[in-house]
Amino acid sequence: MENALLIGLSRQSVLQRELDVIANNLANLNTTGYKQDISQFEEYLMPVARQNNFRPVDSRLSYVRDRGTLLDLRPGPMQQTGNPLDVAIEGDGFLAVQTPNGERYTRNGALQLNADGELVTPQGYQVLGDGGPIQLQQQDSNIAISAEGSISVRTGGVANVSVIRGKLRIVNFPQEQRLQKDGENLFATPADMAPADAPKAYLLQGAIEKSNVNSVVEMTRMIDVSRSYAMVATLLKNEGDLHKTAIQQLAEVPTS
Amino acid sequence: MRALDTAATGMMAQELMVQVISNNIANMTTTGYKRQRAEFEDLLYDHVSQIGTQTSTQGNILPVGIELGTGVKTVGTPRLMSQGNLSATGNSLDLAIRGDGFFKILMPDGTFSYTRDGSFNLDNQGRIVTAEGNLVQPGLTVPATATSITINEQGQVSVTLPGSTTANLVGQLTLTRFVNEAGLQAIGDNLFVETPASGAPQDGQPNLNGYGNLQQGNLEQSNVDAVTEMTNLITAQRAYEMNSKVITAADQMLQTTSNMWQ
Repeated sequence: MENALLIGLSRQSVLQRELDVIANNLANLNTTGYKQDISQFEEYLMPVARQNNFRPVDSRLSYVRDRGTLLDLRPGPMQQTGNPLDVAIEGDGFLAVQTPNGERYTRNGALQLNADGELVTPQGYQVLGDGGPIQLQQQDSNIAISAEGSISVRTGGVANVSVIRGKLRIVNFPQEQRLQKDGENLFATPADMAPADAPKAYLLQGAIEKSNVNSVVEMTRMIDVSRSYAMVATLLKNEGDLHKTAIQQLAEVPTS
Repeated sequence: MRALDTAATGMMAQELMVQVISNNIANMTTTGYKRQRAEFEDLLYDHVSQIGTQTSTQGNILPVGIELGTGVKTVGTPRLMSQGNLSATGNSLDLAIRGDGFFKILMPDGTFSYTRDGSFNLDNQGRIVTAEGNLVQPGLTVPATATSITINEQGQVSVTLPGSTTANLVGQLTLTRFVNEAGLQAIGDNLFVETPASGAPQDGQPNLNGYGNLQQGNLEQSNVDAVTEMTNLITAQRAYEMNSKVITAADQMLQTTSNMWQ
């Protein structure tokens, strides 16, 4: 008898989770290199209602539950900034970053320099090149980052020679869906998935990749969530009223 | 509901972005001003169901997990140290730096600060000072009788004295560079001070070894680009609005829930 209530409840708790995901996407609407999450649901058939030997068969009860959040790795729009230390990655690829917790990967190419002249992320983590962190020298100016990730600079002296200071490591993964978000725009990998070179990814200097959250889609999803939630609530309320009426009427003792 | 807190972080971040943009726009005509940019990152994730965990004894693993994010935070407002346009003023003590470097300024408390604003003047003793009256380093004195001052690209200051046709060298201006210019701390008045993030100051002669050259009679305008700022402002405002809608939706859902009880 309470099945309708429980099924409705399963829908409501899933909708709350979905709104949490939408809220996080919208909060990161302006986060460089952010990749949105998409909620995924699945039907959950109640295993006990299986008395199908008689006609008509019991209809099986189907609940809903959230199976996962899918990482949407579609590229975000490129924004031109003109800043020489901004790089956007075109194609499947990530920059490798050294953090205290191990190597992490990011699409956020808003790079900075630290006091030692090393290329770092805004959090101060070293960005890795083919041979470890990339360090620029005191006299370096006119930083140029090529499509393949080579960093060349003009360095001191009258001759103004161009010197290569390193090559950014661009990696991708055989199963990108298994990447885990680690906060701070970083992705972590499970232990059994090693990064591979990404020959098809190119860097674009002077641009950054904006978040790939599509605000219109998120807003419509949000409307959908809140309307569905209200609909289920009405359903539950009607079900509750039904119970109430039944109890009241059945318990009425004839007076005559 | 978590969505309420998440959306609140989003609104705070966008508010900060508007604050940064408004400061950029307010300083659009400030000499030597370098624009800032708000950088955001996502907050920690709640891994409700971990990707890659086994779902059966046959070794099936979860292809996707449930990751619930908790919002956004501001990681910094780095300054973009790109070159501003030069505008000619014709004033012989207006200097613009083309390229890397800062003028070194002696503060009243004996410390040094650094600036790209080269609108200098002479004080009553003939010393070169900033608009606030702080001494430009290394200290140079221009004789009171000098009829003209010439500062060349290398920073050599020469003056012409009455009755003389040749210029006399009175000193050499230097520039200061930092490994990480974006790590300098702004203290207002167009001045910056050294921080552990900027690296140690390195003095050098203009137009040599990567130091910029000096342009007499010019001032460096701010590098704020009005179009960029306006588009960023629109983005920030809309994002703020959408995050507020999330709060409304979460609120409505809670209201619906509480109305179920009669």
